[in-house]
Amino acid sequence: MSDIDSDSGSQAAHRRRPSGEPPPLPREYDTAAIAWLAAFCGWAAVWGWIFLSDRPAIWITERDLELMSPLVDNRADWLTPSMQVINEIGSRWAIVVIGWIVLIGALAARRLRHALLFIASQATIAGIVTIIASRIGRPRPLGVTRIGVWEGYAQPSRPVALLTGVLIAFALSLVPPRPWRRRWYALSGLLVATFGLAQVYTGVDHPSDVLVSATVGVAVPLLIYRTLAPEAVFPVQFHRGKTAHLDVTGVRGDAIRLAMSEQLGFDAAEIIPMGLEGSAGSTPLKIVDTSGKVVFAKLYSSTHLRSDRWYKLGRTLMYGRLEDEQRFTSVRRLVQHEHYMLYAFEAAGVATHAPIGIVEITPDREYLLVAEFLHNAVEVSQVAVDVDLVDQGLELVKKLWRAGLAHRDIKPANLMVQNGRLRVIDLAFAQIRPSPWREAVDLANMMLALALSSSATLVYERARVLFTDDEIAEAFAASRGVTFPSQLRSVVRGDGHSVLAQFRDLVPPREPVSIQRWSLRRVGLTLWVALIVIALSSIFVSNLADIGLA
Amino acid sequence: MTSLRSPLRQSTRLLLCLLGLGAGAACSTEEAMNAPRCDGGSTILAAQSVPPASLSPCFERLPEGWSFTTITIDQSGTTVHLDSDRAGDDAATLRFSETCDVGNAIEVPSDLEGAERLDDIERLQPGFRARVFYRFEGGCVAWRFDFDNDASATESVAIEGALRLVGRDELNANIRETFIDEEL
Repeated sequence: MSDIDSDSGSQAAHRRRPSGEPPPLPREYDTAAIAWLAAFCGWAAVWGWIFLSDRPAIWITERDLELMSPLVDNRADWLTPSMQVINEIGSRWAIVVIGWIVLIGALAARRLRHALLFIASQATIAGIVTIIASRIGRPRPLGVTRIGVWEGYAQPSRPVALLTGVLIAFALSLVPPRPWRRRWYALSGLLVATFGLAQVYTGVDHPSDVLVSATVGVAVPLLIYRTLAPEAVFPVQFHRGKTAHLDVTGVRGDAIRLAMSEQLGFDAAEIIPMGLEGSAGSTPLKIVDTSGKVVFAKLYSSTHLRSDRWYKLGRTLMYGRLEDEQRFTSVRRLVQHEHYMLYAFEAAGVATHAPIGIVEITPDREYLLVAEFLHNAVEVSQVAVDVDLVDQGLELVKKLWRAGLAHRDIKPANLMVQNGRLRVIDLAFAQIRPSPWREAVDLANMMLALALSSSATLVYERARVLFTDDEIAEAFAASRGVTFPSQLRSVVRGDGHSVLAQFRDLVPPREPVSIQRWSLRRVGLTLWVALIVIALSSIFVSNLADIGLA
Repeated sequence: MTSLRSPLRQSTRLLLCLLGLGAGAACSTEEAMNAPRCDGGSTILAAQSVPPASLSPCFERLPEGWSFTTITIDQSGTTVHLDSDRAGDDAATLRFSETCDVGNAIEVPSDLEGAERLDDIERLQPGFRARVFYRFEGGCVAWRFDFDNDASATESVAIEGALRLVGRDELNANIRETFIDEEL
């Protein structure tokens, strides 16, 4: 691991973290979630003791009836119809409507995790309510005329718990934290209180039924979301951007500064996200130190590792294992891989940016890959690509072939031009000793990326200097939608369509290279995934009513 | 409140429910509902589901081979579904509500005190199908039998024998004695 060079930082003043000292960003255990869990367990224990023992149950029922008698004994003609409507809407329609809004909204916002957590949260509430209700077996208020709709035991109140749960899940899935979420909580509190009042007024619930159920409805989604989708990792936001990008302000920003200082001797003053539109597997950053020197960094976290796993699973199912779709088993390995690839490319004479080091933010969970910042570099699509740049690009592929390397993600966003020199960046997918198919795809993608800012004819003619016609034909025979990086694919589908067509006219004809790889493993995996999806879907559909969605 | 509760017969299913986060393992209200048993269970709640009824149904020990499947109790009444290992799934359904549509049922001597009985036998063989009604002041209990083809109609006699009608006054007295000074 090298120190920051003279161009990008001062000579490192490392500080070794002694044993026992926490890392810059300790693994997040949500203290609020733990506090909620502890409070909820305590409350549940007291609650269980009260209702599973005769004497406290009698006492609390008497207090409940005392509390509700002024309401139910003095029902007002003008108020009763409204309370009955609220009782019916809250028990039957509100949960369904809000629930589907949460589910569809989360899916529309591409928050599959939040959608699944919502289902888990409502199912957990339903499970808790069901279990407790059957054990307590509390009847509806005694000595009271009931004028509302109800079903099953009174304690806990199922509709109050599910309605509260759905409102909290709405906030945690769809409402940005500040200032809207606080307002939503206030509104939710008002709605639940009104519904609870209607439940008591119509005589279907005791006050304690409402109170206990609202507690369950708040605690369960808060615990589930805070534990499995913490805001710092899965933020709810509506500005454009990819979910892979992490928030580098606040606690994480401070941790990055501390880690950079201790591990690389670089006193970061500014941490600026950059190039987010062209990256999906990490959070690229420009980090400026106190003296104005700049380095480039990529932040990798377990979120990116999970994304990588899902991406590769999807590719394996759709196309078979494309020789190399092995998933990474840890963030550390992911970042080590890219760091090593920077050296491998450098050794092969391929222009990239010089590696500086790996910075540990949270052991095994979050790392920063630090490299040279390419000053005054612009994406290849932003410049007029001349013969020299075309030759550099093609030569770059030739060097990769000679060195037994493949970049696997050649696209305009990863081709930077700095002072007339073409450099390739983002080596996360790079591979040593790739298959011939991979090498061919690299060539086709490079030719396309160059031709988008020049012409297919020029690139083709220059390619024939370095590559044989067979090799060029193989490159385009191996290329189709799946082989293009997403940025290149969207360009090819739009304005770049004619460029691809021109190449196909220019290159010698050749049978397309099949990208489908069938194996027993793929068949088994496909069946397994299909089985899980069908099972989960059928469970979900058959339990829609139980979790308040039907 | 102990006297109002039934034994915990569904604890295994309920545990599955919590572990499975509602994954189809008895998290619904009706599947987790205790049956209205004459020694407790949901008898009070069933009585609350039909406030004007002078009697309320409850079950003694079920005959061999019969089991409760789902129980729904709400403001409109109580519905109990029962399976039988001989008569088939959902072979008997008991509905307790304020009124019954007895159709062409004919009155026969009642085996339950305080209620008149009406029978409507659609078919004896194959597959016994019949409805039996017990009408009383303010309420009605209706049996619907729909047996598998090879099941004997005598199975209905066995399950009918498990049904009791308990007086509202008796329930109120029990509440006062074991719980609080209130009525249904």
